[in-house]
Amino acid sequence: MQDTVGEKTKESPEAPVVEEKEIAVRIEPDLEFIRALSMQGGDLFKKCMQCGTCSATCSLSPDSKPFPSKEMAWAAWGMKEKLLRDPDVWLCFHCNDCSTKCPRGARPGDVLSAVRQESVINHSFPRFLGRMVNKPQFIPLLLGIPVLLLGLALFLRDPIGEKLNLSNFTGDRIIFNYSNMFPHWLINGFFLIISMIALIAILIGIKRFWRELRAMSGSNGRAGPAKSLISSALVSLKNILIHKNFDKCTTVHSRYISHMFVFFGFMALSMVTLWVISSGFNPLIKTDFVYPFGFWSPWKVLANLGGLALLGGLALMIRDRFRDNEHTSTGSYFDWTLISTLLIVTITGFITEILHYVRLEPHRHLVYFAHLVFICALILYLPYSKFAHLVYRTVAMIYAEYSGRNVASLRSKEIQYSG
Amino acid sequence: MKSNAKPILVIGGGIAGMTAAVEAAEVGYDVILVEKEAYLGGRVVQMNRYFPKMCPPSCGFEINVRRIRQNPRITVYTLSDVEEISGQAGDFKAVLRVKPKYLTGKYPVDVSVVEKLTGERNNDFNYGMDRTKGLYFPHDMAYPHGYVIDRETLSDTDAGVLQGSMPDDAIDWEMTDEKIKVKIGAVIIAAGWKPFDATKLDTLGYGQYQNVVTNVMMERMASNNGPTGGEITRPSDGRKAMNVAFVQCAGSRDENHLPYCSAVCCMASLKQARYLRDKNENSKTTVFYIDIRTIGRLEKFYYDMLDDANISFVKGKVAAISENPDSKNLILDVEDTITRENNHPEFELVVLATGMAPNSINIKFPSELLLNDYGFIEGATNIEGIYSAGCSKHPCDVSSTTKDATAAALKAIQCLIGGEE
Ligand SMILES: Cc1cc2nc3c(=O)[nH]c(=O)nc-3n(C[C@H](O)[C@H](O)[C@H](O)COP(=O)(O)OP(=O)(O)OC[C@H]3O[C@@H](n4cnc5c(N)ncnc54)[C@H](O)[C@@H]3O)c2cc1C
Ligand code: SF4
Ligand code: SF4
Repeated sequence: MQDTVGEKTKESPEAPVVEEKEIAVRIEPDLEFIRALSMQGGDLFKKCMQCGTCSATCSLSPDSKPFPSKEMAWAAWGMKEKLLRDPDVWLCFHCNDCSTKCPRGARPGDVLSAVRQESVINHSFPRFLGRMVNKPQFIPLLLGIPVLLLGLALFLRDPIGEKLNLSNFTGDRIIFNYSNMFPHWLINGFFLIISMIALIAILIGIKRFWRELRAMSGSNGRAGPAKSLISSALVSLKNILIHKNFDKCTTVHSRYISHMFVFFGFMALSMVTLWVISSGFNPLIKTDFVYPFGFWSPWKVLANLGGLALLGGLALMIRDRFRDNEHTSTGSYFDWTLISTLLIVTITGFITEILHYVRLEPHRHLVYFAHLVFICALILYLPYSKFAHLVYRTVAMIYAEYSGRNVASLRSKEIQYSG
Repeated sequence: MKSNAKPILVIGGGIAGMTAAVEAAEVGYDVILVEKEAYLGGRVVQMNRYFPKMCPPSCGFEINVRRIRQNPRITVYTLSDVEEISGQAGDFKAVLRVKPKYLTGKYPVDVSVVEKLTGERNNDFNYGMDRTKGLYFPHDMAYPHGYVIDRETLSDTDAGVLQGSMPDDAIDWEMTDEKIKVKIGAVIIAAGWKPFDATKLDTLGYGQYQNVVTNVMMERMASNNGPTGGEITRPSDGRKAMNVAFVQCAGSRDENHLPYCSAVCCMASLKQARYLRDKNENSKTTVFYIDIRTIGRLEKFYYDMLDDANISFVKGKVAAISENPDSKNLILDVEDTITRENNHPEFELVVLATGMAPNSINIKFPSELLLNDYGFIEGATNIEGIYSAGCSKHPCDVSSTTKDATAAALKAIQCLIGGEE
C-alpha cells in the first residue's frame, strides 16, 4: 500500500486526496509486481510507447480516462496499487481489438488480462492460496485436497467398502446407482460445506475490492452515484445475460458465441444442481421426487443440454486459442486452468452418465469420483482462479453503472448524423 | 590514373543519384546515370517547398541540372533501368534497358495537337489527382525538357493525329526497348522511396473518403504547377480547407506496416501546416502525433510554430476516421494521451502523414543483394563495389541525402582506384 506518494498522502489526515493529480506523484515502481505481471505473460507492456491507439480503438472504453493506454503506463511504471484497484481492468472483455491495432505489439488486451489475474490473487483470502492456485507446481497438492476430502467422506461412511460391494466384486452386473457410493445427504452436505467455504473467501475478496472502488469514487469527477445500486445491478445483469460487451468484439467475434454457450450451459447445470440439493426442503418439489431422474425428465434434459452447451462452448474457446491468428490470445495458465477444469468436469460428467446406462463396474465409480474431485476443485478454488471473474467482473460492472463510468464512448463510426 | 578508370553506374536520378553523379564527375570520373522516369529529380521535384528554408525545389534542382548538362563525363539515360549486373568490383558489366521514346527529337512538338488527343492517363506526377493525354509534358522543371509519349494511352486515332501533325521522321513508331551493354567499375544504388500505400491503413479511410489525402498529395495541391493550381482545397467540393488535421505516423512506427520512423513526415506536416497558414487565411490546423520528431536544428522550426494559436498539437495517434456523409467532413477517433480523453473531433480535410517505403529494384546482381530488416539497402552492400545512397539506404531528408550521396561517390571512386592497382 505504499507504492505511490498519492497513496501515502491519503494516509496522513491533513493532506487532501490527490489521486488523479499524477503530476505530483513520485513513482516508486513495484518491481516484484512488474515481475509477477511479466510472468503471467503480460511483459509486453514494456513495448508500449503511449500512442493511445488502443484506447481510441476499444469499443468498451469510455471517453474520459479511457483504458487500456493508462493501464499500460501504470504497468510499465510498476504502479501496482493503481492497477489493482482499477475497475476498468474488469470492464475489458479481452477481445484484443486493441492488441490487433497496437503498433508496437504490446498486446494491451493480454496485459489487462494479466492484471486481472493479479487483482484476483491480491484480493483473495487467504492470499497464499491465491498464489498457489496460479502456479503449476501446486497442481498435485491442489488436486490432492479434494481427493483427500472426498476420500475421507467415503471412508467415514463406508470404511470397508461394503456398501459399494467392492470387497466381493465378481464382475456381475450389480444393480446399484451412484448414490450407493455417495448418498444424497452426504454429497449435498459435502458440497454445501465446500461452497460455504468458497463463498466466505470470495465475499472477503469482494469486500476488499469494493472498499477500494469506493475509495476511488470522486476521481471520476462525479459527486454522487449515477444510479441506485439496485438499478445498477439490474442493468449489469441484463448486459451480462445478453453478452452485450462480447458482441462488440471484432477481432474474434466467435467469443460471443462460445462464452454464451459456456455461460448458459453452466447456468443450466447449476440450476439443476440447486434443484436437486434443495429437494429435501423445496416446497415446489413434490414429495414423490425420485432420484435419479429418468432420461426424459425435464431436469435431466436441461442438464444434458447444459452439458452439451458447455462442451461445445469450451471446444470453441479452445479452437479460438489455437487459431492461426497472431492477434488472438493463446491464453495464460490462469486462463487454461479454468478451461481445462471445466472441460474435465463436463467430460467426466458425461462419461459418468453414459456408464450409468452401460453399467460398467467398477470403473464408473472411479470416473464419478474424478468428476466429484474436479467439481470440488472448481468450487473450492473459485475465489483464486479465473473463475472469480464471475464475481469480480460483475461487481466492477455494477460499480461502473453505479458511478456512471460505464458509458462506453461512441466510436466515430457509430455517431449518428442528424443531417 | 583516373583517365582509364571505368565509369560509375548510378541507378536512380533523384537528388541522391544526381548528387553522386556530379560529385564523381566533377573530380574526373565517368558516370552513367540511369533513371526510370522520363525526367530527373525524383520525388523532390514533386514538392512545393523544402524545409527548413522553405525554398522551392527549383533552387537546388536547377543548379544540379546545370552541373549535369555541362559535364561531358555524365551520360544520362531516362525512361531506362538496369536489367543485370555481372562481374566484380572494378570490373562489372551492366545491361541497361532503354524504353522507346518514339519522338526522334528532330522537330519540336506542335503543342496544339495535345488537345486533339482523346486517350488519357492518370498523372502520376500529381499522384493521380488529375489526368494527362498520351502526349504530355511531365512538369515544368522537367529535365530533359520535352514532351513524352505514353504509347499505351494513345489510341490508334490519337497516333494518327499525332503523326499527321508532324513531318514523317519526327516520330518512329517502330522503336522498341533498346539494350545497352556497358562496362563499369562501381555501382551506386539511389532508387529512392515511394509513399507508403495508405489504402493499407484500413481504419483511416484513404481511398474511401474523398477528403482524406496523403502528405505527398498535399505537396502537389500546394504547388502552383499542381492539380489545383496551388490552392489547398477539399477534393469533394473544391472549397478551401479551413480546418485541417494531420495524422502523423500513418503507417510508420507500426509493426503491422512500416516498423520504422520515416524521419521526415513530422517536418513535412509542420511545413504543410505553414502552407495552410499562408494560403488559407485563418485556417485551423491540428497535428495528431506520437512524438514530434524534429531532429537537430529542425527543432527550431517546430518551436517557432508552437506560438501560433491556429495550429494545435495533440499527443495521440489517430486510430480511426469516419466520414459524415452529408458534409463529407471527417471524424477522428483519437485519445489525447496527455489529458486522457478519447476525442472525436471533426475536420474538413485530413492529411495522412504517410511514411517512406524503399523502392524495390528488380536487377539481377552477381550474387543476391541483401536488404536490411526494414527493406533498405545498407550503404556498403554485401557485394563489393556496390553502394547505396539517399532513401534507398534509409528514410531521410534532402540534406542528409546529399551528404550520403557524396559519401557514396567517394566509396565508388575508392573502389575504382583500388581496381586499377
Ligand atoms: C511528404 C514529404 C515531404 C518532404 N519534404 C521534404 C522537404 O521539405 N525537405 C527535405 O529535405 N526533404 C523532404 N522530404 C524527403 C525527400 O523527399 C527525400 O529526402 C528525397 O526524395 C530523397 O531523394 P532520393 O534521391 O534518395 O530518392 P527519390 O527522390 O525517390 O529519387 C529516386 C529516383 O530513382 C528512380 N528510380 C527508382 N527505381 C529505379 C530503378 N530501378 N532504376 C532507375 N531509376 C529508379 C526514381 O524514379 C527516382 O527518380 C519529404 C518527404 C515526404 C514524404
Ligand atoms: S496501442 Fe500499444 S503502444 Fe499504443 S498506447 Fe496502446 S499499448 Fe501502448
Ligand atoms: S517523422 Fe514523425 S510522423 Fe514520421 S514516422 Fe517519425 S515520428 Fe512518425
